[in-house]
Amino acid sequence: MKIKIGHAAMLGLALVAAGVAVLLIKATVLHYPLTPGVRTTLWDFELYIEFDGRNQPARIEAYLPANDVERAFPQEQFYNGSFGLSLVGEPATRNRKAVWTYRYPANRKVLRYAVQTLGETQSTPLPLAFRESGPETIPAEADPVKRQAFIVWSGNLRQRSADNRSFADLAIADTFGDRTDREQYADEIAALLDRATGDVGRLELVRQLLRSQGVPARIAGGVYLAEARRRVELHRWLEYHIDGEDFRYFPDGAPSRFFTIWYGSKPLIDASGVDNLEMQIALSGRETAAADIAENAPGPAGTFGRAFGFSGLPLTTQLVYQVLVTIPVGIALLVFLRQFVGFNTLGTFMPVLIGIAFRETALLNGVLLFSLLVALGLGLRFYLERLHLLLVPRLAVVLIFIVMAMAGFAILMTGANQAIGLSISLFPMVILTMTIERMSIVWEENSASEAIKQGVGSLIAAAITYLAMTNDLVEHLMYQFPELLLVLMGLCVLMGRYTGLRLSELWRFKALSS
Amino acid sequence: MWNTYRALRANGVIGINERNVKYVNALNPRKLLVRVDDKLVTKDLAAPAGIPTPELYGVIRDARDMKRLTEFIDHPDGFVIKPAQGSQGKGIIVVDGPLKGGWRLSSGRRIDLEAMKFQINNMLSGMYSLGGQPDKALIEYRVKFDDVFGKVSYRGVPDIRVIVLKGIPVFAMLRLPTAESDGKANLHKGGVGAGLSIATGVTMRAMQHDQFIEFHPDTAHPLENIQTPYWDDILLMAAKSYEVTGLGYIGVDVVLDRDKGPMLLELNARPGISIQIANRRGLRFVLEGAMALADTPRSPEERVALAKTLAR
Repeated sequence: MKIKIGHAAMLGLALVAAGVAVLLIKATVLHYPLTPGVRTTLWDFELYIEFDGRNQPARIEAYLPANDVERAFPQEQFYNGSFGLSLVGEPATRNRKAVWTYRYPANRKVLRYAVQTLGETQSTPLPLAFRESGPETIPAEADPVKRQAFIVWSGNLRQRSADNRSFADLAIADTFGDRTDREQYADEIAALLDRATGDVGRLELVRQLLRSQGVPARIAGGVYLAEARRRVELHRWLEYHIDGEDFRYFPDGAPSRFFTIWYGSKPLIDASGVDNLEMQIALSGRETAAADIAENAPGPAGTFGRAFGFSGLPLTTQLVYQVLVTIPVGIALLVFLRQFVGFNTLGTFMPVLIGIAFRETALLNGVLLFSLLVALGLGLRFYLERLHLLLVPRLAVVLIFIVMAMAGFAILMTGANQAIGLSISLFPMVILTMTIERMSIVWEENSASEAIKQGVGSLIAAAITYLAMTNDLVEHLMYQFPELLLVLMGLCVLMGRYTGLRLSELWRFKALSS
Repeated sequence: MWNTYRALRANGVIGINERNVKYVNALNPRKLLVRVDDKLVTKDLAAPAGIPTPELYGVIRDARDMKRLTEFIDHPDGFVIKPAQGSQGKGIIVVDGPLKGGWRLSSGRRIDLEAMKFQINNMLSGMYSLGGQPDKALIEYRVKFDDVFGKVSYRGVPDIRVIVLKGIPVFAMLRLPTAESDGKANLHKGGVGAGLSIATGVTMRAMQHDQFIEFHPDTAHPLENIQTPYWDDILLMAAKSYEVTGLGYIGVDVVLDRDKGPMLLELNARPGISIQIANRRGLRFVLEGAMALADTPRSPEERVALAKTLAR
């Protein structure tokens, strides 16, 4: 099986590589599902802010999910009422802030922000920029007592730990855990923490301890995507990165899926000039086909995905392409059957066309119908032979006969209440006619057995290609990843340079194998 | 299965894929194929090069020519009607002579004028040509075959197939008709193929239906050690076909006429690979050996001499 690395092989491999590369990007980065029927929950996230105006300049600042390259949202909605809205980015923390302002608001006002998200999971990687966070002055405490306590504590933690990882584990255990097992330096901890210190304060302490060891760490705030609720609690957690590994510590227990809104220890909303501020977050989930979500992905990644897909076409055209893109699978399979196995078929791509026709009739009906029509046609063809007709008129007579036979079947079958009656009409009559003509020539020129052999071979090839073309996985993969056409093309180029023996030739030349 | 594959590769057996990729596609430029696909063109090219072909009695291109059919076929000792672009002997009518107002076919059946016209019309409409394009019908001299192969033939005309690589004859076989092949010398119809020594023109071994045989299935005559007459002339004709066609890989089909000696019947740009079974060896080594030597320009006579040394 010597394969010469020549021009053709290079082209073939390049095509395969290009197709696979696009597929991998779509599957891993854009999360196009590789199997059919994958469903994902898409969450509708809504933030309501309600307050009373005081007839004086009002300013409401709220952190919003960062809309950047790594995480973009296609359908953000703002309901601002009469308020002015400006969006402010904070490059240092990678936060995004909405600032709503109004000079003299009176009575109750509502602001609303809505977005759709898939959320993130524990395995969502932390951004590269975060991993390489610059240095920071640690400890940030101005109080000399607390400062001293921090230094003693962190020194102690360092002594008790082996590396940054165990340091982080210990720091979290000390801060959030039971107080009994750390009596030695309880004073230092007491100076930094008391019972009143909330999760945010504790997380900030751990963050600073980690930063003191040069570990990138940050506090994140957001919601857990667990169930649809009108009022969802905000949660805080810690994200840190040690030796190429991402860690997240959730004081409230780890969620399977969450949605990060902002970073840092500041509260979500900061308002001035208003009374009775109320904030409410609502979540509702929707089951959506994963493929739809991937197709509608925003930003350059989404554009890339759509460039290699059909989602931009009108629905009817999409349906056509759903079928069309599977045909090359049948074609490539046929190339394999011919070049490697040595199938002898009537007409080069005839079996694929018959296979496409089986789509309408299903396999068993299709095979029966095909055999019956060819048999009838052959009978007519042999009779016409005696009339000494010219080629083209003879073909026309056979074709008209085929249409008549099909119509006859349709009427018969409808009477018998068979759905097959309708599907039959799409059978490719020209293909059938040519099949009959070719078969009758082989019949005469070679032998009846040869003609039947080729006919049966074609039928088997048609059945194989049909089964391949209508396979759910094949249909899904070809439609969601049309770049596989490049792979098929490359494979055909490679098969076109195959100079080895065919399977059938092993039998043919068996006598020479000794 | 894998062992069979390995053994066949080791014996130099080439498959259709290899023949197509390395020889047919690589050495036979598509635009030159008309020279072999159309037998009339082949005939016209062969004559000036000194390659004898069966005498042409007439060409039927359309209905007007058809009126002259009776004039073309006015040969009491028989004639052959063949589609100019037919392949594998398809559509050929071989007529031995007149019979009861009609004609007697070589198969023994009788054919009348109407049936003959119908067949010719089929030829014209492209029934036997590649891709079904309109064709011509050639009417030519019927070869009176040499008795030398009489004992190993059943009706029909035996012919000699020579595979020529860039003008060097590399493989040859004698194709013998059988009862099963209906007087045709085509191997896939059940004809017998007997390998010929390129050096001497003597039959060596034989095959039918891809199996080795030793005796002709109908005459029961041994197939080995029959000397082909005019062997050097045949090799020279085969070698000259390269200059005539410009095609690097062809099968040259030659018939032996009792009176006129060897004549070129047709050329084939896609010669079959069963010849390997008839010769009981693979084509690859001799093809690759010839390829290595083929770049130096040589006269046809030199190439015949080279072929003989290669064969030893």
